[in-house]
Amino acid sequence: MTNSAFLHFLTTLLFKQKSKHIGAILISTIIITLLSSVLFISSSLQQSLMSTLNKQADFTVSKIEAGRAINTPIEWIDKLLNINGISKVSPRIYGRYFYEPRGNSFLVVGVDFFDEQSSRELEKLIDGVDLKKFLSQDNMLVGEGVKSFLESHYYKDNFTFKLKDGTFKEVNIYKTLPKLSNLITNDMIVVPIELAREIFGMKDNTVTDITLNVENDAEWDNIISKIHLLFYDVRVIEKREIKKAYENLYNYKGGVFLILYLITIVTFILILYQRYSMVYSTDRKEIGILRAIGWSIKDILKLKFYENLLIVIVSFILGTVVAYIFVFIFNAPLLNQIFLGGENLKNSVELIPVLKFGVLGSIFLFYAIPFLAAVLIPAWKIAVTPAKEAMQ
Amino acid sequence: MLKPFAFLALFLLLLTTAVLTHFSLYNSSMQSRKLLSIIGLTKISSPVLSSAFYEPRELFNTDVSNPAYPQMQNINKMDFIYDK
Repeated sequence: MTNSAFLHFLTTLLFKQKSKHIGAILISTIIITLLSSVLFISSSLQQSLMSTLNKQADFTVSKIEAGRAINTPIEWIDKLLNINGISKVSPRIYGRYFYEPRGNSFLVVGVDFFDEQSSRELEKLIDGVDLKKFLSQDNMLVGEGVKSFLESHYYKDNFTFKLKDGTFKEVNIYKTLPKLSNLITNDMIVVPIELAREIFGMKDNTVTDITLNVENDAEWDNIISKIHLLFYDVRVIEKREIKKAYENLYNYKGGVFLILYLITIVTFILILYQRYSMVYSTDRKEIGILRAIGWSIKDILKLKFYENLLIVIVSFILGTVVAYIFVFIFNAPLLNQIFLGGENLKNSVELIPVLKFGVLGSIFLFYAIPFLAAVLIPAWKIAVTPAKEAMQ
Repeated sequence: MLKPFAFLALFLLLLTTAVLTHFSLYNSSMQSRKLLSIIGLTKISSPVLSSAFYEPRELFNTDVSNPAYPQMQNINKMDFIYDK
């Protein structure tokens, strides 16, 4: 049979049995869309977090008491600076402010705006911010999630914090932090460092923890040992651990992903079963006729292979494209809440498009091989039987 | 029947091209810049994985390690379930 005649017959067959193929394409497209969406969201969030690693401090040091982190003395900064190789030692003041009436919490972060680097970063973050005006009163910058939460609770322009001593502190909402930084800032309130101390009732000689950098990577383990020799009640968190955590954050080899894979496999088995039973009813006769008019077993297998390969390719492209549009154009409504969580404040993150061709290739193989096998094996079984018997 | 098949192939090709065009033209550096700025400003880098108030907001907040006191046990409930 010439190639053009074969192609003509193949496409005729494909479009003649439209209803049979549309069902298979529809189910396969839904499965591939779901699987690809999950992988797209996880790889996008992972990529966004990984891109921030370079800017993060190499180590975070905090004091511990009875196994729990407590406020760290500010004098530790000078002691840490005395260790050779340590640079960029910065204190951090932050904590969670619990809003009791609704059971929600905000992350309040104190920033030293008189520090040159901080003011520069603020200008980069929010266009046209007037630092003088910001510092002239008790003002705060709030994340998108905080802003919408406060607005829905009638705090349009300011919010009243309840302090440790039972008094109240009214702080104006100066500006909202950009939506593009929602992955980190959704529940964040940024205030001047003194105001943060006041809100948490912290003493002037303490900070929440201290961050520091060690330029030479080879010195990292040595520096950790030195810090542990300097203070006995210390906890040191390394950037290496954070990197590992980001890598495992949406580990698709475990947890929820394993359940998703199991669901996918079960659904596939159902599809395969359907395909298998179809071969034994309608396709059986078709193969018998082809054998009777002189088609060889090889020709029949070739026809079935190409017929189903086209179905596989169509479903795969449709599924992947729908998943891409759903995730990267519509920002995966509903599904993104599974990854970002909806326990505290509702978050909406703009997902950066990430296409990992290795993962897409794995999905394709994972889907195509069982699909083709489920059709070719029964087709071969019928093709090897005599034509008369196959048609009965 | 080759005509409808050609249409289908063309349609799929268009879809793929549209996706690849969107992917290559998307400006992802803006988000990275904003995230880097907020980390530079606050020194906080943990993602908001909207947790309840009793769960740690900062990564590793419940993890304790101290080589100076190896006998001091890690108070982390997850250790009872998973090995690190």
